[in-house]
Formats: sequence, structure tokens, C-alpha cells
Amino acid sequence: SNLRENAKRMHGRNRPYRTTDLAKMMYNLTLSPAEVVKKWRGELEDDEEDVEIEDEVDDDFFKKRKSDNPEDAEDRYIPIFDYAALEEKWEDEENIEAFKSRFAIGHLNGKSGDGD
Amino acid sequence: MASETSQSLLRFTGHRHLRTRLVLATLTGRPIRISQIRASSSSTTPGLTPPEVSFLRLLDSITNGSAIEFSMTGTTLVYRPGLITGSAEGLGAQGGVIRHEIGRECRDRGASWWIVPLCILAGFAKAGVNVVFHGEGCITAATPGGDVSVDTVRTAILPLYKNFGMERNIEIRVLKRSCSPPRGGFAGGEVQLVFNHQVRLPKTLHLLNPGRVKRIRGVAYAVGVSGSNNARAIEAARGVLNKFVPDTYIFSDVAKAPLLENKDGTKKKGAVGFGLSLVGESSTNCLYSADVASPPEGGVPAEDIGKRAAYQLLESIERGGCVEKTAVESVMVLMSMGSEDVGRVALGREVLGSEEVVQLGRDLSVVGHSGWGLRDAGEAKEDGDVVVSVVGRGVGNVGRKIA
Repeated sequence: SNLRENAKRMHGRNRPYRTTDLAKMMYNLTLSPAEVVKKWRGELEDDEEDVEIEDEVDDDFFKKRKSDNPEDAEDRYIPIFDYAALEEKWEDEENIEAFKSRFAIGHLNGKSGDGD
Repeated sequence: MASETSQSLLRFTGHRHLRTRLVLATLTGRPIRISQIRASSSSTTPGLTPPEVSFLRLLDSITNGSAIEFSMTGTTLVYRPGLITGSAEGLGAQGGVIRHEIGRECRDRGASWWIVPLCILAGFAKAGVNVVFHGEGCITAATPGGDVSVDTVRTAILPLYKNFGMERNIEIRVLKRSCSPPRGGFAGGEVQLVFNHQVRLPKTLHLLNPGRVKRIRGVAYAVGVSGSNNARAIEAARGVLNKFVPDTYIFSDVAKAPLLENKDGTKKKGAVGFGLSLVGESSTNCLYSADVASPPEGGVPAEDIGKRAAYQLLESIERGGCVEKTAVESVMVLMSMGSEDVGRVALGREVLGSEEVVQLGRDLSVVGHSGWGLRDAGEAKEDGDVVVSVVGRGVGNVGRKIA
């Protein structure tokens, strides 16, 4: 859920989502935009991913390479969602309550929202 | 124009962000060269796609004096922008209207794919802009390729132009609805963009408070299928959203399948389907949108379409900021073209920290704009929005000045 992500975000080793970090990387052309985003989110290229790449190399000979290379993707406005996961997320009472502060009716119950 | 020959070509590579780059080139009057368009060995179809060629044609008809060259394989493109004339009489327009045909080969993209960048240019045109999109590839609904429906453009993107001082005589009319066609089919929609409020420079934007979402509006459309699909999609969407906002009103538009005439005079029917476009509006007039249409091959019940749209809307609201991802390109470009003053906008971290926006910031700096300033909004660090400061370059309407 969102709370867990938040906790992970707060206590992670290299604090992701720091504005100053993005400001530094934004115009650093040695990093591709995809790398900038990845680094900013703190999604480290851990071993998990390396394994995946190796796997791919093995059967690369027969299969057409999956084009998950961002260079091959097309521009799109609507992101691709996993709707099953979204359904779970937005049917969860805790998430619903926490999110009500973003709505005009929500300001009476619970934490104060941002802005006002 | 004499200065243009002395200007060196700005160089870009790759097929991503192609329209944005063409728009920036047109607005700043800088000639550009885009190379390696789908040139990598992994792409099966190298070069420009039919929609991209069609977009270039559109640019050609709303500008005067543009020169477009591509290489034999279509992997390299040189574009020397002309003046943005709009739908002025005699330059590709008839009766003040440009009719832009979107052919069958372009049906991978929705009409919004052409309309969104066109709107960015339209505010700077010499005359008003009035373009009718039609043809076998003209899709007004949301598409599997990730383009929003024209309803979303109308309700979630066009209202933002008010912040820049463009608000009069701006309209999108859906003349014929159409959905994404299945393989071998065609769409046949028709949609008109009227953009008659031209400005010399857009107003400087200060949009820092996202406020709270107070109402949700939407359009459910059924094309050539039963209107009960609309009712079912609306019902399901309300089921999700009523917990958050009681003020939800979704219009239902039931249209016939578009008809196109064959060469021999017989009529053929265009693609059918249904979908839902939702817009959440905050107390400070910030907009968040969602768009889901039935896939061309069918098989998704209306209830699921409604629910998905609602979840998508919640996601967009959760990402926060004053401008959602769909509209961020329009807003950032217009801010950059503003008068020489610092405009500010609060963006959600996931919106700002996306590949598209990072690339947009870089492309803007290539065409000569200064870098964005970033700082945290308020004291909420690593969680709240980020305030992006953009120095306008006062280049708005270059065309008119040079002319």
C-alpha cells in the first residue's frame, strides 16, 4: 500500500525524491531521461535486474527481443495501469480515508491536507 | 527570414517527443534536424510513421513558408519553420477552415494526438485557427495507444489556456464520434478545433496551490452501440468516486456509428465502441483527468470501463501538483513562451520526475530557454509538490515579429 511505500521512501538508504538531486540531474546530458527518473526514484539497478538481463541473453537467439527499451516505445498520454492492483488500492478503507484530505469534503475528518 | 539561413540547425535524435520538438521549433523559429528516427536495428519499421507525416502536413498547412525535407528512408528530418498563419484564407484553408484528413493508415493515434500540439501553436498564430479533422483514421475516443479522447482535451486541457490569457472563442466540436477501429477497420470521426484568441505573449503563470478536488464532471460516449453502456459505465464510476466527491455529474452522449461513403457511392460503417472521460476540478481550478475506452476487439464490460476510469482519475489526483501529466507539456511550453518574467507552477513529484518532462526541460534548453528552477513546495520535503520556476523568453509569436 501507499503507507509502506512512504515508509520505505523515508527510511531508504539514499533518500530518493530529493528536489536538489533532480535539479542536478535534469540537465546532466550524460544521463538519459530514463536514468534520471530511475535514480531520482531511488530504484537502484540491483542484482535482481542483472539476472533478468542475463536470462534474456540466453534465449535471445530464438526470440525476438522484447522491446522494453524506452528508445523503441512510442509517446503516450495515458499511462498503462494494472487495474487489478488499482482496484485493490482504491477499495482499501485505509487508503480511502487517507486520501480524502485531497477532496473538498475531506477537510473535516483527519489530517489537514496540503494547501488550503 | 534572412537571419534564418545563418542559424545553424538544432539537432535532435530519435522518434520520441517528435511533435514537441516540431512545436518548439515552430514557436522559436529555429530550424531543426531530427535524425535516427526509429533507426535502431530493433525497430521493424524505420523512419517516420504515417501519423507523424500527417502531423508535418498539418504544420505545413497552418504555417507559411515552412520547409520540410526527409531522407529516403524517412529516418532523418529537417524542418525549417515558417510563420504561424493559422487558417488564413488562401493558404490551404477554404472559407477560413482547414480540412485536415487523417487517413486510414493513421488510425493508431487519436485525434487528440494532433489537436494538443496544434493548440499550443494556435495561440500564436497570425489569424484564427479553425481546423476540421476528418477521415478514415480520425478517432475521437481514447485509443489503446494512450491518446486521450477529444472530450478530455476539451474539458481538461483547453480550460488551462485561460491561465495564459487565452479564453475567448476557443472550442472543440465533436461533429462525428468514432472509436478506435479493429484491425482492417476504419474510424471516420470528425472533430473541429476553433482557436480564435491569439495573444502576443501568454500571461505569466503562478499556479502553486492545487486546492482540493470539489467536483467531477465527465462524458460517457457510446458510438454505434447501446446507450445502456453509458449508463452502466457511469454507475460504476460513481460507485468508486462517490466516497470522495458527492458532486459528480457525467454526461451521456449516444451517437450513431460514423458513416463514410465508398468511391462507388455506397456507405460503410466506422468503428463502434464506448468509453468514459472524467475530469476532476479543484477549488483552485486545477484539473485532473482520466480516459478509458473499450478496446477495439471488445470484450470489456461497461462496468469495468467505468471503474477503470475512476481509478485512473484517483491516480491522477494522487500524483498531485497543479497540472496533471496529460497537460504538463502544454503548460510548460506556454510558460516558456511567456513574457520575460518568472512563472511558477507546482508539480507532483511523479509528474515532474517522468521521462517526458525531463526530456521536455532539456529540449527547451536546446532551443535556447534557461533551465528550470526547482524547489520544494512548503516544508513538506520529499513528499509534497515541487515548485518549478520557468523564465519566459518572450519569444511568443516570433513569426509575426520577423514578418
